[in-house]
Amino acid sequence: MATVAEDENPRRERASHHEGFLSHKRMRWLKLALILCLVAIVSYAFVDVEPRHNGGSWYGYTLGTIGALLIVWLSLLGIRKRKMTAGKWSLKAWTSAHVYLGLALIVIATLHTGFQFGWNVHTLAYALMMVVILSGIYGISVYANLPVPLSNNRREMTKGQMLDALDAIDRQLEKAAQPLGRAESDFVIAALEQDTFAGGLGARLSGNYRNCRTTEALDMLADREGDPATAKVLSLLRKRKAQLDQIRRHLRIKALLEIWLYIHVPVTIALLGALAAHIVSVFYYW
Amino acid sequence: MDFRIRSIDFTAAGREIVREREVAADEVLVGRNAGCAIHLPDLAVEQQHVRITPKPGGGLKLDAVASLGFTIDGRNTQSASIDPAKGAELGVGSYLLEFSREDDGRVAITVRQRADDEGEGKDRLRGFSLGGALPGKRAMSWIALTAILLLFLAVPVVSHLTRVEVEPDIEGEGAVLMDASWSTGDLSSVHHGLEDNCEACHTEPFVAVRDETCLTCHEGIADHAADTRMALGMPAPQGADALLWDIAHAFNKPGPGACTDCHTEHEGAGRMEPTAQQFCADCHDTLDSRLTDTQLGNAADFGELHPEFKVAVLPRKGAVETVRTSLSANPRDWNGLRFPHDLHLDPESGVTQMARRLGEQAGYGDMLECSSCHTPTADGVRFLPVNMEENCEACHSLVYDRVGTTFRTLSHGNIDQIEADLMAADRSPRRPITTGRRRPGEFAEGGLYYGNFSSVAPAVLRSNALEPDGLCGECHYPGDTAGGVLSVAPVTQTARFMMHGWFDHDAHTQEDCATCHAADTSSDASDLLLPNLSSCRDCHEGENSLTAEVPSGCAMCHSYHPREGAAAAPPRIAGNLSLRERN
Repeated sequence: MATVAEDENPRRERASHHEGFLSHKRMRWLKLALILCLVAIVSYAFVDVEPRHNGGSWYGYTLGTIGALLIVWLSLLGIRKRKMTAGKWSLKAWTSAHVYLGLALIVIATLHTGFQFGWNVHTLAYALMMVVILSGIYGISVYANLPVPLSNNRREMTKGQMLDALDAIDRQLEKAAQPLGRAESDFVIAALEQDTFAGGLGARLSGNYRNCRTTEALDMLADREGDPATAKVLSLLRKRKAQLDQIRRHLRIKALLEIWLYIHVPVTIALLGALAAHIVSVFYYW
Repeated sequence: MDFRIRSIDFTAAGREIVREREVAADEVLVGRNAGCAIHLPDLAVEQQHVRITPKPGGGLKLDAVASLGFTIDGRNTQSASIDPAKGAELGVGSYLLEFSREDDGRVAITVRQRADDEGEGKDRLRGFSLGGALPGKRAMSWIALTAILLLFLAVPVVSHLTRVEVEPDIEGEGAVLMDASWSTGDLSSVHHGLEDNCEACHTEPFVAVRDETCLTCHEGIADHAADTRMALGMPAPQGADALLWDIAHAFNKPGPGACTDCHTEHEGAGRMEPTAQQFCADCHDTLDSRLTDTQLGNAADFGELHPEFKVAVLPRKGAVETVRTSLSANPRDWNGLRFPHDLHLDPESGVTQMARRLGEQAGYGDMLECSSCHTPTADGVRFLPVNMEENCEACHSLVYDRVGTTFRTLSHGNIDQIEADLMAADRSPRRPITTGRRRPGEFAEGGLYYGNFSSVAPAVLRSNALEPDGLCGECHYPGDTAGGVLSVAPVTQTARFMMHGWFDHDAHTQEDCATCHAADTSSDASDLLLPNLSSCRDCHEGENSLTAEVPSGCAMCHSYHPREGAAAAPPRIAGNLSLRERN
């Protein structure tokens, strides 16, 4: 999202440039988050809690309150992002704060625990929070790195065109396979009928499609290259395979780009539940 | 080159009409213009859109004539080369042109209009999203949220509210389900039995653990001081402290002074952590400014602010009541004995010589050690009273006669018996110094001039028994003469001088006795050989000391709840004590 830089001199040409949410306002929120972490760490070292630091001291409750408010605010991005605005509280500023304050939460929440962990709802909330933060870190890193490979793989084709190309090959394949015998035709039918998007999450993420009927048809017909009709079918099958590979590479990069949200969002909601249980349980068994 | 152009149309009823024509030309033009060999009536097609020219070797070259491109097998391009034998599909506007090589060697171009439903529109593109391979985010969120709230909130709360309340029991099991997931840490070893019985302490929802709850089990515990004295002695919280207490009270926390203020739980298995010295120092550091009549000195930190030890001593010869006196006044303790420690520990004294002569058989080494006379109690905490028969008599013999191979010994502590024994000894004939020979005539035993010249003369023994070097007076002071000639002053061996502080000798076995007790320079039994505050500070300083060998909080020696006797040890030490006794 491009913003217009604030300019003190109106006579000068108004320069427009892109500034990502990570470097928004010269990393204002990174600095703020670092200060927050530093204050937390230093005070953790200097505040004397007997017999040892834990979430139940006055200091622990303070960190816990800050952490809980942060978590609730951070999760509100899900609502805020649906309304793009510019200016001081622009969505970009909000996202920048979301990222850096979310990272600061690692320090604040860890100090809140006093490094005491166990098999309980309190550690569950902490673990869910860490999963959310780590998935967020992953999300940012793939958003920074994967768009280029994704774009390169497109070779100026839209998703629709990729499917159209596959259709074009399929139409020719159907015609070309007419002279083939029963067994050979069945391989071609199997290849044509297979859903392009078949294959589970594992296949999408790895790009390894074990049950690919096109590959199977290629393997089964490979030794009949001598027959001209079969040779044509083989040539078309290879084209189909190449087109499928492009689609699958696209699917793979897209899956790597999207998978984190399938963790980040549901686990955030689970975290809000665990956080509620954590807080209520502490005061219930006060 | 010859081309066979086959166009496929459909009638209104959907029937296919195929028309074929042969074209012999060097190039074939595809376009909206009626002059083109392949005429496509579609506004999306240019007047002249694609030029098809043969290439040597049977291939075809396809070029866009104007700026709009075309698709080959679905791919956008401006120019392409194809082999009709392998087939290809050219897309221009709404038309598809399929290339193939016929059996007679001609290139066939089949022209047909793209069907309306081909491509299925945007729905097909959804497959590209990961959503197709995963359950929805919303569904996953609801399931996780519901499961967590149900398991970790609803189940414990409902089962807590609907439970049947019973008297808490350390052996009992709780009725609340899933509340183990609420525990913030293991309980200390003393409360381990309550681990799965949370509601034993957490009786009411949103009410912090109250003193009454603790007292259901710890019923015998005594108060630190009278309520009025406590109220007077405690400083009102100031500043940040006051703010913290205000917040704590707003959240329904009891205190200050509640059990849970000092005794924190869920800090992990093992011994309950001793209370920090700050809890004591809060009041005791300036206690005299509030409790002006207190006899206690201010104390905040053993290394920095702690009064000199006070000991309960018998201040005078014959005193019966002990008096608590500060060690700074160099008090003496009259225990009723004459005993010079220095003589017994001097390596050149007769005592040492005697110990050496008695040697190992009697349990001595080259000289007397403290342990030659002082025996620790079974728990090792302090020492048993010195016992005449076991600890002194090896040297300080009370043997007064020998009959055959046995010795007759006066019965220590039993004056009547001693009197009787001595009297009887005086009457009975003495053994001859030599055997086999008799004194001549009337000098012999039973004769007129018989005299008893044996080494022990009972009458003399008795009459000067309480002289400083007499039979009893060597160790005892003369007592009340109304009790008889042999009456001695009562002996009081104090087992514990400090009544409100705890000291465990067993915890100090790495030190020599002489490090703390200056016995080798003491010439009188009334010397109080107790170490003072400053000598303890050689090793012990306050809890937060960085320089001390043993940083020591108040709870190391003191107990908040007043106790009597052996239980006056801080509970954690008393706990160790009972362990040792069991072993």
